[in-house]
Amino acid sequence: MSFEKVIELKELARYFEVGGDLVKALDGVNLDIGRGEYVSLVGPSGSGKTTLFNMIGGLDRPTQGSVYIDGVDISKLDAYELAWLRCRRIGYIFQSFNLIQVLTALENVALPTVFAGLPRDEGNDKAQKLLESVGLGERLHHKPTQLSAGQQQRVAIARALANDPAIILADEPTGNLDLKTGTEIIDLLHKLNRSKGLTLVAATHDLKMIKASDRVVMMRDGKIEKIEKGEAPLNHN
Amino acid sequence: MSEIKQGKITFSFKDAINLGFNYLRRRRDRSLLNIASISLGLSFYTSLILTDVFYQTYASIGGSSLSVESTYYWLVIIALIVSVVGITNAMLISVFERIREIGTMKCIGALDQHVLLLFLVEAFLQGLVGGFIGFILGVIAALVSTGFTTGFDIITYVDPTRMITIFLTSLSISLILSVVATMYPAYRASKLDPVEALRYEL
Ligand SMILES: Nc1ncnc2c1ncn2[C@@H]1O[C@H](COP(=O)(O)OP(=O)(O)O)[C@@H](O)[C@H]1O
Ligand SMILES: [Mg+2]
Repeated sequence: MSFEKVIELKELARYFEVGGDLVKALDGVNLDIGRGEYVSLVGPSGSGKTTLFNMIGGLDRPTQGSVYIDGVDISKLDAYELAWLRCRRIGYIFQSFNLIQVLTALENVALPTVFAGLPRDEGNDKAQKLLESVGLGERLHHKPTQLSAGQQQRVAIARALANDPAIILADEPTGNLDLKTGTEIIDLLHKLNRSKGLTLVAATHDLKMIKASDRVVMMRDGKIEKIEKGEAPLNHN
Repeated sequence: MSEIKQGKITFSFKDAINLGFNYLRRRRDRSLLNIASISLGLSFYTSLILTDVFYQTYASIGGSSLSVESTYYWLVIIALIVSVVGITNAMLISVFERIREIGTMKCIGALDQHVLLLFLVEAFLQGLVGGFIGFILGVIAALVSTGFTTGFDIITYVDPTRMITIFLTSLSISLILSVVATMYPAYRASKLDPVEALRYEL
């Protein structure tokens, strides 16, 4: 597989001032991620994983350095362009699912297609197909509260895929799930990565997930400590 | 590469009504509280205007001349202000309850103005329902307060175009007050930083 850069981080830094102290959430991160790659991000809590996702997703701006998505320096984008990037190029998956509670599974998955300007019936058709593909064809009109944690995360995955993004950012996607459900979600994400050629970046503590990935990026105190091939951390332990 | 530059994000008035309607329907208690707040203030206003109209109509068909005490008009203004403050408060609470969802929406493509539109549309819909209910309650209250003197059939003597004007005025006041009361909460919601919003734990 040829390496085509999708995400490029250059000397990326993000500092926060907390009560007069400077917290270096990210401190000089350099990383290239290729199209279709599956990268696991590991590191203790507070090492900067979520901040890194916020940078890649254009939700937050770096203190120093730059983020390139498809070769575009996203610090040069205006609010419209950033929103478009989040809407069409990137799919987010969160630890706590973050579904819209008043909407059904179908409406949640269709919401990104509303922002993308897809006609309603097309968006709904697409949402239905996506929900079927994650095994929730029978749960289209259920509210999040009527779904199990694993099912909610499946809805969130379907929503992340709604506008055919190139990149999926998953921030501890199995953190709120039991072992069996977590494994199912990992398998689903892995399958999507392989079958659709999606670039998958996942923050995780889950050894199964780490093992399945192409590369493992280990973070500590806002810096990349080490990068290894998948499987490798398992062999160490 | 240029694809990002050409990107378009949409969220039409119709989309906002769709989503806003879902929020109102499925957060029913909160919506009903807002609707009650606006319709009570408004029913007071409508009943006062109508009472005056009923008295004038009564005089024009040969009854004795009566009038509404002017202090009542001050009470109406106060009642409407109370409604506005009540709605502003309820909508602010609603923004806080929905912080994560607002962050999530921004995360999947919503712009500030879309969040603003969503909240204002919710206010508009509440104002619409509140205006209808307030008008009906106002008619009933005016009839109850004048009917024993003027006769309950007084309403049939009122010029229909005058009734329609009063109805439309009441509805407009309801819509305007509801939207004005929601402006600040909606603005706050639209300016929420998605990163902060997603870090927020209820
Ligand atoms: N908005 C913020 N304000 C202040 N400090 C922050 C903020 N976001 C993150 N941090 C700090 O930055 C560091 C990295 O946090 P985070 O990226 O959430 O780590 P992780 O996701 O790896 O647990 C932590 O010390 C955290 O407290
Ligand atoms: Mg985190």
